[in-house]
Amino acid sequence: MSTTTTTTTLPPEFQDNLESIRIMGFWVFLTTDLVLFGSLFAVYVVFRSRVGLGPTPHQLFSMGPVLTETLILLTSSFTCSLSLYSARKNRVKGAISWLVVTLALGMSFVLLEIREFTTDVLNGHTWHQSAFLSGFFTLVGTHGSHVTVGIGWAIMLAIQLGMKGLTLTTRRKLYAFALYWHFLDIVWIFLFTVVYLSGIA
Amino acid sequence: MDHEDRQPHRIPTGHGDEVELAIFSPKMHQTHFPSLQITGYLLSIILTLLAFGMVAYHWMPMASLIPVILILAFIQAGLQLGIFMHLREGRGTTWQIPVLALAVSIGLGIVGFSIWIMMFKSGVS
Repeated sequence: MSTTTTTTTLPPEFQDNLESIRIMGFWVFLTTDLVLFGSLFAVYVVFRSRVGLGPTPHQLFSMGPVLTETLILLTSSFTCSLSLYSARKNRVKGAISWLVVTLALGMSFVLLEIREFTTDVLNGHTWHQSAFLSGFFTLVGTHGSHVTVGIGWAIMLAIQLGMKGLTLTTRRKLYAFALYWHFLDIVWIFLFTVVYLSGIA
Repeated sequence: MDHEDRQPHRIPTGHGDEVELAIFSPKMHQTHFPSLQITGYLLSIILTLLAFGMVAYHWMPMASLIPVILILAFIQAGLQLGIFMHLREGRGTTWQIPVLALAVSIGLGIVGFSIWIMMFKSGVS
């Protein structure tokens, strides 16, 4: 690994050339992920009114749990930024603690979503029922699976931070995770607006 | 290479990529207290509750409601990018901005043109 460092006003994650390129690569990954979500959003919007004999968005959504999920995810985005903030202050304990808070919030988000999906399916509203439900479960489920992957990532990252402390590599990994988590938050903002709010409007 | 006489806002990457848009010039936000993060958090909560309130309590007619909550979503996405994703940091905006512009244009293109093409025959509601 390249160890050429330039001591400048650059943030610590960007001190190393190679690590900077890796962060850049992560932005490229986020771009491809955005294309995935863009496609699913397009499918959802096109199929939204095709409810067949199934429920309409208005009948299906209960906004209470969804608003709770949104506030949980926004809070987890905030605690994730505090983790990076602590890391930049060279407080490894703070970074790990905020990361653990973030993943706990992420877990409660996923649990709420699973509960919502289970209720729908038990009421007979599976994704076989209508084009709207297919689009809905695929879009929201893809986001939920991304959050689930993020939780696994955060657990491994927290262990690594505990074992290795704040090195060039672990700083970059934390930064990339923060980018991923905030990206998922942005996707959820649009999910909340396009799927849920527009659905009950 | 010696970069002693460089202006402080220039980041010496040494590869000639120091050209920056002045408003996006990279800087590291590090304060004693995470005030920027807290501001961003409060703003995102306010924007979310505002959009929710608009829909739940019918504050405006349907025709203007959807565009308005979409605009609120874009503002919130901008906040996330600017504050939490540290868009202005790093080795300069020449690194992230083109990728991000590509991502946004592809994303909006897919969604926008899908809606547009489907409006001709069957209609998108």
